Amino acid sequence: MKDFPKYALLLIVLMILQIGVLNNLNLGGYINPYIYILFILVLPFSTPGWLLLLLSFFVGFIMDYFCNTLGLHMSAAVMLAFARPAIIRSISFGIQDEKSSPDLAHEGLGWFARYVVIGVLVHHTTLFLLETFSFRLFYLTIVRIILSSAVSIFFIILIEILRLQRHKD
Amino acid sequence: MNNLLKLLERFHFVILFIILFTISSVLYFNTTYYQKARLNQLTLGVSGFFDSYFSSWSSYFNLQTSNTKLFKENVNLKNRLAYLQQKLKMTADTVEELKTAEVLYRYMPATVVSNAVNQQNNFILIDAGEQDSVMAGMGVICDRGVVGVVVSSSEHFSSVISLLNTDLVVSAKHKKSGVFGSLSWNGIDYRKVKLLDIPLHINLAVGDTIVTSGFSAMFPPDIPLGSIVDFYKKDGRFFDITVELFADFKSLDKVYVVNSIRRKELNKMLEAAEK
Repeated sequence: MKDFPKYALLLIVLMILQIGVLNNLNLGGYINPYIYILFILVLPFSTPGWLLLLLSFFVGFIMDYFCNTLGLHMSAAVMLAFARPAIIRSISFGIQDEKSSPDLAHEGLGWFARYVVIGVLVHHTTLFLLETFSFRLFYLTIVRIILSSAVSIFFIILIEILRLQRHKD
Repeated sequence: MNNLLKLLERFHFVILFIILFTISSVLYFNTTYYQKARLNQLTLGVSGFFDSYFSSWSSYFNLQTSNTKLFKENVNLKNRLAYLQQKLKMTADTVEELKTAEVLYRYMPATVVSNAVNQQNNFILIDAGEQDSVMAGMGVICDRGVVGVVVSSSEHFSSVISLLNTDLVVSAKHKKSGVFGSLSWNGIDYRKVKLLDIPLHINLAVGDTIVTSGFSAMFPPDIPLGSIVDFYKKDGRFFDITVELFADFKSLDKVYVVNSIRRKELNKMLEAAEK
């Protein structure tokens, strides 16, 4: 609970970046990076499942409110929150320290990169498939998922590195 | 109850996920126009299928009335046409004015009551009889060709010997050359009849139209009957021509009985000539 201000601040910063900058950055029409999911990814291991889902629901709602796509980001974010424990289980060895969180500072770049790649892919696949809601443009959707995911992963790791720098200072 | 709570506690993550995901999906598909349109399209595909199914049913019922209407109109037009043709002839040929001042053919509407195509000697029953001044010997046509000849009539119904009856021979002519022959059915294919007695020197081609000759006074001349699909030389003197009928006898419904005004007179003359 003592980390609450920290996560709140992270959420606000991510939302400002996402809504203020990245949402207006439409690279070639195919690339829509979404970095707000970093908030869902780095919540502590000890976060209960229901809280994880509700927080994702809330974050998705904020995104949707500003993107005028009520329900789209909520769905994708909830999907990511649902997949998160399984992703963590699948790429980790042994038992996590209940007090730590799945971020760069605690788990190292290798683990974190894998974690982000899988998480972003889960989120973006859900998002773009729901958005097009058609298998007619299936290949185009695949291209969008891959390109957007690559850019999202890049930005998320960059932000996480910057966060780590601040942490060290 | 305790078990249920335990179950809920155990699966709360999955259950909550399902609830939240459903809520967001429903919200999403209820708000964005594109998805709305997509879903609408999907549901339209289903509802539209049933709609068109039912409308085709209801249009079938309307078809009956609209058909009858069109049919009556058609009869009027045919009568008018016959009258006008006569008028035209009159003005063109003033010498014969007095002789041809009357209409040569009258058409009476009738509906097929029963019909057969699968026998060798097929007969058709129509719902026009003596009351409608239908008499034996009158020709019966439909919008796409000759149907047959009335053989007997009661007060309200008439029996028609079908063109698809091996006993009926109709005089027909090759439209291009004007040469006539006899048309009859060989009892095999209900779409095809035989045209015989066309001499070998006539240039025939597949697709040529065969029309009524108008010699018998049962049918007006130049009603299209069918087109040539096959022909070969037979006996070294005449062609054996296979003609595909324009009329589909299996779906015969509305027909016209042809009343030739001069039928009696002509028949009398023919009988006299034969004697």
